Amino acid sequence: MFFSLDPAPPSRRTGFISLTSLSCAPLAFPSFSSLPAQLMRCLRGLQLLLAMDDCPEGTRVAVGVSLCDSAPLLWRHQDLRQVRSEGLVGALLGSLPRTPRQNGRLGRPLLLLPEEERLLSEQGAAAALPAAEQDGGRADLRLQVEQYEVEQQSSHEEQSILALEDRKSALVRAMSSPGAQSDEALWGRLEALDQSFTFPRSALAVQLSTARSGLSYCPESRAFLQADWPIRTQGGSRREVTYQVFRDLRGRGFYLTSAGKFGGDFLVYPGDPLRFHAHFIAICLPLEECLCLLDVLAVARLGSNVKKTVLLCSPGTDGTVRYTSLQWSGMV
Amino acid sequence: MADQNKTDTAGKLYNEILSPSELFAARSRSHKIPVRGQKDFFPNDSDEQRQRLEQSLNEHWSLVSEERVERLGNLVKGIWIPSDQIVELQSPAGKFWQTMGFSANAKQCLLPEEALYLMECGNLQVFYRDLPLSIQDGYERFLSSKTISLQQYQVFGHLKRLGYVVNRFNPSSEPSPYMRQLNLPQSRDSAGRQLKRKRSTSPTLSSSHTKARESHTERMEEDECSHEGEKKSTQASPETPGVSTATTRSADEGKGRNWWMTDVLPEPGHRSDHSLSSGSSRWDFRSIVFPDLGSREQLSSCLASPDPSLLPEALAVGACDFALWRQRINLRKVNMSSKDWKREEDKLRRGWDVNKDEEVRRCRNWTEYMELMSRREAKRKGRPAHLWNREVTPLHDPREPISTGELLEKISVIKPTNLLEGASRLKGGDEWRICFNVYQADTVADFKKSNPGKPYARMCVCSFDGPVPDLRAIKLLTFQSGDIPVVFAVVDYGDISFYTFKDFQLPLDVFP
Repeated sequence: MFFSLDPAPPSRRTGFISLTSLSCAPLAFPSFSSLPAQLMRCLRGLQLLLAMDDCPEGTRVAVGVSLCDSAPLLWRHQDLRQVRSEGLVGALLGSLPRTPRQNGRLGRPLLLLPEEERLLSEQGAAAALPAAEQDGGRADLRLQVEQYEVEQQSSHEEQSILALEDRKSALVRAMSSPGAQSDEALWGRLEALDQSFTFPRSALAVQLSTARSGLSYCPESRAFLQADWPIRTQGGSRREVTYQVFRDLRGRGFYLTSAGKFGGDFLVYPGDPLRFHAHFIAICLPLEECLCLLDVLAVARLGSNVKKTVLLCSPGTDGTVRYTSLQWSGMV
Repeated sequence: MADQNKTDTAGKLYNEILSPSELFAARSRSHKIPVRGQKDFFPNDSDEQRQRLEQSLNEHWSLVSEERVERLGNLVKGIWIPSDQIVELQSPAGKFWQTMGFSANAKQCLLPEEALYLMECGNLQVFYRDLPLSIQDGYERFLSSKTISLQQYQVFGHLKRLGYVVNRFNPSSEPSPYMRQLNLPQSRDSAGRQLKRKRSTSPTLSSSHTKARESHTERMEEDECSHEGEKKSTQASPETPGVSTATTRSADEGKGRNWWMTDVLPEPGHRSDHSLSSGSSRWDFRSIVFPDLGSREQLSSCLASPDPSLLPEALAVGACDFALWRQRINLRKVNMSSKDWKREEDKLRRGWDVNKDEEVRRCRNWTEYMELMSRREAKRKGRPAHLWNREVTPLHDPREPISTGELLEKISVIKPTNLLEGASRLKGGDEWRICFNVYQADTVADFKKSNPGKPYARMCVCSFDGPVPDLRAIKLLTFQSGDIPVVFAVVDYGDISFYTFKDFQLPLDVFP
């Protein structure tokens, strides 16, 4: 087994691992020598975009996070959009309203990774939403129930009118298209429809809300909530290491998702995961940690099998992160 | 761009309540999911790429922001009861009742995970204090340490969406290993179910749930045992098999309950009194000869009529001509290959019995036998005797014949083991437990909640952050699960992977 610490000429012919040290700022793509420049441009573009998004302090709306069984979940689609615009992907957990019985595409809520949660709260961009139990008093409740019933009633009336109009226009279309039909007949039919039409309660379309309604709807209360984000202890030095790496990679414009199924900490995407494949599997280790050679071989082999490059990421003492890419390379 | 965004959000910030006209329009909504195109390898700053990304994102957001809209008539209404952590249905349940829910106090109820899943599917509207709960409320109220965790619900939902039938696993409703060993029918499952759902302690109400499937006798049994079901089940434990068999046998034999499978032999004591009671002892089977029709030796083609004393009265059986029967049976001689012969011989040798030894049989008394033994001992002295004189002796005497397989077994240092070995002696831990029974999707049509049958697998939920189960945990879970595979559902934020640990028998390339 040979190891070279210089960028080795990559080859698809398998056999050897090359360790490439990538401590310098932009990430190099060992197998695509022409790309770094493009990547740099793209990164600069992204940074610019981020800077533009950075509204002046105070006007920026915090994302409302609510805890479910101690997991940070986002519920409102505006919040989802906002974190995505900041390059945080998260993971959707719920059934998709449109076609609930499939696992291919899921819907709200969005679960934040611990690193994403921490990044948001450090930037003051997240606020905890009040727990469900903090309801108003009995009188308040009665008021709400009354309001709900009134709303249902008016919705029924309005939908009933809409349904009648719908029917009428269908009738007019049906009777006018074949041609020779007298106006009187049409009017008679319409009249009859007006008389006989009923819109049964069971036909009423109702909404099964995804997010809880109430207090959190107005931006002022959200800004107010920004302050009391509970400080949640995030366990251990390992989390610290992964967070440093996450923040650094995100700062370079990469999109990250968790990489449990690839045996790593993060999957690293060059752009939005909706449009791009992940290029790297990031594995976070403290700088001083010893690595078992077999483990290195295992991750390198796995990475090459899924056509991704394995990155060993170790935060240094000076706030920078050192990256080492691992790749099988050929020796003829 | 940022400005545009801001005005947009200021206009209808977090307005996720649909207006009546929007609700009405939602009836003719498409149910198609846009296909995701081929992904690009690398962002190249081109307009084309930016457009595609924008389109994908738009599709994504329109999917994700879509609200559930259902006809009121299609919704089942339920009420959340926090004190019991269940949802009680107010209108008749839908099709889902075949695989989900339970009855208690003559009401149809759903477990929180079932209710939440049905809310997400748009089948159920749950009210609390006369107000409808949102999906968010459902997640926050239904999932807790008192019910199931978010991760467990993720696994539940994932499997349900794939079409599996998923039930909570309840260790007390599983037959004990002893019951499994005896092949006892699972008559207690309904009682166990009732115990699990604490709300129905009254036996009369519980019978409404168990329906006509149960005979009258079983219901009576339930009456006496439903309050002390625990006690009863311990009675059937290995310590007192005599007691339980005696009582159940006398009680149930008349009602046609088959407690013993025919291939499981009861203890000798039981057998003897059984045969006595049936009065079969007057037949000495050694003296009753059954004809061997396939025999090579030429029998006369006619069987004499049997001893009339063996037949019931008033039944006469004449001589029987069996030539016709002989034509119908296979009379070909069994051709054994040399290998088969060797195997037969080996079998004989292994089942070696001192009484089969011709020389031993010729001995007429102990003295002669002892003489024979000492003679043989002297003969055996031919082996290197000094090896047997010391504390450490050879594992095997080369003069004794032995098959290769047996020899390998004899000299093996590490004995093979299996997952269940010693598992019954392990004390249970708390950190690993089975959460769900999973039944295959294609059995949904004839699935019965009262008699679900054998699960396809059992699920244990854990996360990538936690430890890998150790051998002890795997042994315990396997033992608890019996012959049904235990699958570990490992949750990694949004992803769920399934793993299972299996026994593996190393093949032995030795014959025989």
